[in-house]
Amino acid sequence: MIVCMRYPRGVLLVLALGILIALSPGHAFASNGAGDATPSSSELVESPAEFDGDVISFTGEAIGEMMTRGDMAWLHLNDDAYRDRNVEEGAPLGGYNSGMAVWVPVELTETIATFGDHAHEGDIVRVTGTFNAACPEHGGDMDIHASSLEVVTPGHRVEDPVHPRKLVWAVALSILALGAFLADRLRAHAEDTQGM
Amino acid sequence: MLLRPRREDHLVIGKYTGKIVIGIGLLMVVPLLTSIVFAEWDTAVDFVISISLCMAFGYGTQAVCRTDRDLGWSHGLVVASSSWLVATAIGAMPHWLSGHMGSYLDAMFDVMSGYTTTGLYLMQDLDHIAHGLNMWRHLLTFAGGQGIVVIALTFLFKGAVGAYTVYVGEGKDERLLPNVVQTARAIWLVSLVWLAVGAAALAIAGLALGQDPVRAVLHGLWVYMGAWSTGGFAPQSYNTLYYHSLAYELIAIVVMIAGSFNFALHWAVWTGSRREIRRNVETVSFAITLSLTVLIATFALAKAGVYSDAMVLFRKVFYQLASGHTTTGFSTIYSRAFVTQWGPMGMLATTIAMAIGASACSTAGGIKGIRIGVIFKAFVQDVRKSVSPENALISERYHHIRDITLSDGLVRSAMTITIAYVLLYALITLAGVLYGYDFADAVFEGVSAASNTGLSCGVTSPSMPEGMKALYILAMWLGRLEFMSVFALGGYAISIVRGRR
Repeated sequence: MIVCMRYPRGVLLVLALGILIALSPGHAFASNGAGDATPSSSELVESPAEFDGDVISFTGEAIGEMMTRGDMAWLHLNDDAYRDRNVEEGAPLGGYNSGMAVWVPVELTETIATFGDHAHEGDIVRVTGTFNAACPEHGGDMDIHASSLEVVTPGHRVEDPVHPRKLVWAVALSILALGAFLADRLRAHAEDTQGM
Repeated sequence: MLLRPRREDHLVIGKYTGKIVIGIGLLMVVPLLTSIVFAEWDTAVDFVISISLCMAFGYGTQAVCRTDRDLGWSHGLVVASSSWLVATAIGAMPHWLSGHMGSYLDAMFDVMSGYTTTGLYLMQDLDHIAHGLNMWRHLLTFAGGQGIVVIALTFLFKGAVGAYTVYVGEGKDERLLPNVVQTARAIWLVSLVWLAVGAAALAIAGLALGQDPVRAVLHGLWVYMGAWSTGGFAPQSYNTLYYHSLAYELIAIVVMIAGSFNFALHWAVWTGSRREIRRNVETVSFAITLSLTVLIATFALAKAGVYSDAMVLFRKVFYQLASGHTTTGFSTIYSRAFVTQWGPMGMLATTIAMAIGASACSTAGGIKGIRIGVIFKAFVQDVRKSVSPENALISERYHHIRDITLSDGLVRSAMTITIAYVLLYALITLAGVLYGYDFADAVFEGVSAASNTGLSCGVTSPSMPEGMKALYILAMWLGRLEFMSVFALGGYAISIVRGRR
């Protein structure tokens, strides 16, 4: 049995409009389950006024270190092409780093174990908080004042082994450099001897 | 009439270019040791390869180009400009081997940007690079600020009579002491004392901000190098926004302003003449133009209502403008915020500051305060002449280490270089516009590259057209060497082809 449901034309129109609005540039920013917008750092920097004062959700790799200031701390979360895997691990080049500074209570940061640097891929952290295009509390910095934080994916140590081909080049060029040095010294010595 | 260079000319140029490349190789020992200390073995091998290349080239060239002839004036200029090119080509090797660069051209872009103390970069995933490579980035901008020729003069030239011409060819023309090698060493002395004080202050600030001791010391050293050399490289992609600290910003401002002062001024103060700071035409010119540009930007941003608090507004504007005017390139705002928050007037004020630049014979770029001062004095002199009786003798003076009476020769020399800079700014802007960038963006970024500043509004990126990258490399090189030695290199190349025997 084929059930054919008939909807009034008005309902279809509203549905179509809803889809159009959802796909329009003004609503291009996704939202999390709680209804908070989840713009990327590039979107925040490109349209700061649009998000100023909004509660947003932001996810990125914890980079560098946590800088504690009393019972609060600064975090930097990168949501760039290297969020899951960095260049040392073989990630393809994907442009500059980009991310957002986060001002967060220290007690929320205790779950963060790894910060990204050359030897580490940092924890991927999701924060929810208020976005400030020019935070009056922090000298006009663009930041997020986070009220919640969770570690989405733990970070890990990154191995960066020596490439054997590079080793061969290093040895060959060292020999060449030594040869050039000796040739220079020998010619200088020969000239000195002739001069005497 | 052009004379074709003789074999002896090629030999003397090759010999001294080789010496400078050996100097670059020796400099790489510092990042090599850094990599070894932090067990970054792959990066250490990159530096072994690069040092070997420098030594092979340097000693190989010296072995082939044996001559007792000293440098002539044109030789010195050609050595200065050619050695910067060779040093860039070879110095780019560690960047390229790191795997963080899109191409060898990108690596050369970053190295030329470092040597010229510009600070624009194309390195990708900067936040994950090795300590050794970060040390190299900052060391090469520090060395570039001193002048890579100054380094070679200090350690390798052993009092060559013609060394002064290479020194001048690098855009420095002050003799702090009678001997040019002693002058180079005096420049080092001033910089190293500032290094000790500045890096220590920043490291202590870093510790207070919550950095662990090792990172606080490394960041302190690197940010000092970026500030003193007016280079603008920083260890994290967030630049100095990373620290969120007024104290850190204040220390950085003091160091970058000090770095942008003429080494002759430093030496005068060093030897007891403290009044020089207030009297020198360059410091006076800098104070006036910085105040004016800060005023313009403050007015524009206050009108736009970007910053809600007056102190916040002043802090942001003063930091970016001081950074722009000293041609440092540090910033506490995102690059694109110049476009999305500061707008055309804020960008214009910053562009003017970058175009003027700081002091001659310093680590900074741009037209330079002394030329602005001389041209302004000449303008005042002409106005005074026009309103005075015909037979009145009107003379103008300015103070730079000593009182100097304005002469037509001085004004002409200042105007020539100023016009050359303005033309360079115009051409590099035109190139940006032809490549399809907005005019405001193209002028901001073009002036930033040509004045060796390094503030970016987002034009510079790894995806930028290759032609633009090459043009920016050329602009950085021309701007840093102040044209003459590059023209000399061009003349040398033409004379090889078309000169008479």
